[in-house]
Amino acid sequence: MVDLPTLTKKFQKELNAGIASLVLLSVLNKNANPMYGYQIAKLLEDYSGDASFMKQGGLYPVLHSLENSGLLESKVEPSVSGPPRRYYEITSEGRETLVIWQGVWKQMKSFVDRAIK
Amino acid sequence: MIKSIEEYLEQLKTELHGSDAATIQDALSDAEEHLRAALANLRDAQPEISEQEALGQVIEHYGSPSETASAYAEVERRTVPQLTRETPKNTSLGNFFGVYTDARAWGALLYMLIAFVTGVLYFIWAVTGLSISLSFSIFIFGLPLALLFLLSVRGLALLEGRLVEALLGVRMPRRPLFTQQNLKWFDRLKELAMDKHTWFSILYMFIQFVLGTIYFVLFVTVLSFSLSLFAIPFIQEVFDQGAILVSGDTYSYVPTFFYPLLILGGVLLWTTFMNIARGAGKLHGRLAKFMLVTD
Repeated sequence: MVDLPTLTKKFQKELNAGIASLVLLSVLNKNANPMYGYQIAKLLEDYSGDASFMKQGGLYPVLHSLENSGLLESKVEPSVSGPPRRYYEITSEGRETLVIWQGVWKQMKSFVDRAIK
Repeated sequence: MIKSIEEYLEQLKTELHGSDAATIQDALSDAEEHLRAALANLRDAQPEISEQEALGQVIEHYGSPSETASAYAEVERRTVPQLTRETPKNTSLGNFFGVYTDARAWGALLYMLIAFVTGVLYFIWAVTGLSISLSFSIFIFGLPLALLFLLSVRGLALLEGRLVEALLGVRMPRRPLFTQQNLKWFDRLKELAMDKHTWFSILYMFIQFVLGTIYFVLFVTVLSFSLSLFAIPFIQEVFDQGAILVSGDTYSYVPTFFYPLLILGGVLLWTTFMNIARGAGKLHGRLAKFMLVTD
């Protein structure tokens, strides 16, 4: 028997792997101010409507890895309530990368659209 | 059913068991920041739902401990610290001289120099902090001082970790250790004082002073000795000045046929030291990981 839900979940996860980086970079590029994790997650929730594409917990390791590659920068600031927050901001390398990645995504999108039509 | 954020973090820690200690520390700190913010937000927006229900919803969005753990494991697998990428190995001779192209060796050299400065600063800070905290602890205002000192130790441990990761290529925490919020400052002090991580960090600050001094002395001695070996032919040929001081202002000359030997000696000495530095850097990285990262 094919385990449909598990397979679908796995497929979704594999799709998310690359897209999450593109989406996070775009969101941080669009926003003039640095944003913290929960804020970003909230914003993505608004974009996705009722459908939930990925768990919010999965965003953080992607943010770390983007920061490690120098595409994002972060700084910790104390918050009025609760633990200090880490604010992320896109770097100029991040902006350059984003332009290229958007191009890649556009090509990919039209290729997939044509293939699955 | 998870009843509190602390319980979530405990489960996440269990799920991440076996991952890199530094990754675990990062994951816990991210989860704590997010869950607390999300929970507070939801409770503000919908005060009518119970704390338990709200937590359930927040975790539903954030992902279960096992989902979160697998997300970190996945990304961690793809990103390793820059310096750990191995250079291709060939012969043992190539290995010996290949040290010049090895970023870890240069990183370790730089670290040895910096360790002298940080070692002295850590030592001063630890001695001052400990003695002030201890001597003032008979007064009531001694305790907040002790708290500030112990917090600063945590901060310095994180900072040292960043340095170790950048220069020695050992994965260290990138986020501060998570701590329970809403603690009274006295409980916070008690928690810090009971944590062996705090005392290991202070011990590390003392050890760094000794090691930093040793590294620095070795570095300067070997560097100047190697350079002086290179300099002998140069001084004798260009300035026509004997390189060996006999007595008073009488100098004697090193015979010309020794020149290749001198140069070779200088190269070998420095290359050997680079190899030792690489090894020492590796050991120091392990020491730092053991002392500064909780398991």
